[in-house]
Amino acid sequence: MISEGSMIHETFYGEYLKNLLAGHHRKCRGMVQELIDEGIGIKELYTDLFQRSMYEVGELWENNRITVAREHLATSITDSLLNLAYPSLFSTARTGKRAVVSCSVNEYHQIGAKMVADIFELHGWDGHFLGANAPAEDMARFIHEVNPDVVGLSLSLLSNMDKLKHHIDVIRADFPQMDLLVGGQAFRWGGLEVIGSYGRTQYIPSLERLEATLAEA
Amino acid sequence: MEEEILFYLLERAPLLFFVVDNRGRIVQANGYAETVTGFQLRGTPLADLIVDFSGTFDPGNLARESHKEHLLNIKARGLPQSYYFTFTEVQDQVLVFGRSDTEEIESTRRKVQSLNEDLNNLTRKLHKTNAQLEQLNRLKDQFLGMATHDLRKPVSAIVHYTEFLLDEATEALTSEHVGFLQTIHSSTALMRRVIDDFLDISLIESGRFHVNLDATSMEEPMNRSLELHRPVAKKHGVALRVSQLKPLPVILMDDFKVEQVFNNLISNAIEHSPTGGQVVIDLSLTGEGVTVAVKNTGDTIPIPELEKLFEPFERGQNRKARGIRSTGLGLSISKKIIEAHHGRIWAENPEEGGAAFCFTLPLDPQRGLRSE
Repeated sequence: MISEGSMIHETFYGEYLKNLLAGHHRKCRGMVQELIDEGIGIKELYTDLFQRSMYEVGELWENNRITVAREHLATSITDSLLNLAYPSLFSTARTGKRAVVSCSVNEYHQIGAKMVADIFELHGWDGHFLGANAPAEDMARFIHEVNPDVVGLSLSLLSNMDKLKHHIDVIRADFPQMDLLVGGQAFRWGGLEVIGSYGRTQYIPSLERLEATLAEA
Repeated sequence: MEEEILFYLLERAPLLFFVVDNRGRIVQANGYAETVTGFQLRGTPLADLIVDFSGTFDPGNLARESHKEHLLNIKARGLPQSYYFTFTEVQDQVLVFGRSDTEEIESTRRKVQSLNEDLNNLTRKLHKTNAQLEQLNRLKDQFLGMATHDLRKPVSAIVHYTEFLLDEATEALTSEHVGFLQTIHSSTALMRRVIDDFLDISLIESGRFHVNLDATSMEEPMNRSLELHRPVAKKHGVALRVSQLKPLPVILMDDFKVEQVFNNLISNAIEHSPTGGQVVIDLSLTGEGVTVAVKNTGDTIPIPELEKLFEPFERGQNRKARGIRSTGLGLSISKKIIEAHHGRIWAENPEEGGAAFCFTLPLDPQRGLRSE
């Protein structure tokens, strides 16, 4: 649902979703640019437009209402629209803290994780994003290089839980004291007990919860 | 049952099907073929659907190898599409089937999607790096501003005290010591000009550069600048001349900053004029506003440099007639001053030779130049 007092009204959202599903990327871009020009907050843009529409696209796919190709097209469009927010996102005052965010191997849904990296940026952190399908060993090398305060891992498909566990094990082997945050759509279907078995590993169900966690950090 | 299967294969499956007569014309096509091509197919030569660069397409010939698949491109809606075709002769007709390679299409789609993601991630990295560079640039400007601000006072003190010594104490000194003092004076005066340029650039880059507009005639800042430069021009044998046909209107300008522009342009013009040459300052009222052209009799400016000259630290390839040192910031600062008045500054090579640096200030800086 759209947050109270949001700049994005239902009719606007409906029009955007219609264009997104039809693959009209220029129309979507124009609508997002319009919101940015009107001064919409990045968090509001992310949750009320990008996150909401991608959840809805995901549900349409899960219910066999749209094809994989259509879902991927909507995802690609949304991914490219995040670029519009970056000029203001990266100019926020820096805290000196760093986060590395990634998807595990075999995970090709990167938008959620990227939005998480962007929320870190919005709060003045350096939010390094490694992309989809990033091997655990590459991530460990990058962590050595960047020395982050926090590592974030995203899981979209529960069937990839073993890959996520491998990621956590590889990171834990080199960085036993590293704080890990995990999240993603996969946890709607289970897997929280796996996360609970690891120390210093926290499940983050939403961007709001992430913001609350960052406020406490 | 066969009928059901046949109906499904021909009408529902993503498969192209044509029956072609012995003249190569389509006598029957399935619904999928018409959807893909967007053509009314009955009666159309099959060759018209095929993208055939060699012009040798002949279904009858291809039917002689009925076991073989042929990769061909058809004119589909939008871009051409690739299908694997088989041609089978049945009585005096040819049955044509075309299948697409869905594996290849799917794998290509995944690769394109992955490339798109990589591109988006690199764009994110680029934005992040840009923001970091902008921050570093701000820190550099801050440092430059603080350093030059702190240096200006002691350097000015050295200039003033050496001037004082040169005025008051030369009788008590040997000619060699007076020479030392003159070198200290000219070097510190240059250092102060450099510091002033850096201070201006620092103000410009930080967005704190403002103009204070007052009603002034263009002759006022020009005359002050001319007075300042007459001794140097005389020393180097360069004549200074003003060319003005009509009186000019009083316009709104920051006359001290416009004087700074005159100082930069006139000193540059003297530096680039050979001994015996002249610098002409041409004042005129044009459709745009009041235009000033400072012309010298030195070398012309290579065309590629005309625009770049106004960028910071661009000194151009032209050799100066004499080795007067500068920071390379004068023209860049002049450009900012003129732009702050909503005016225009440029360099050109006049037909009569030499080079000219020109600027126009609008009659009303609030409205900008008339031609805009």
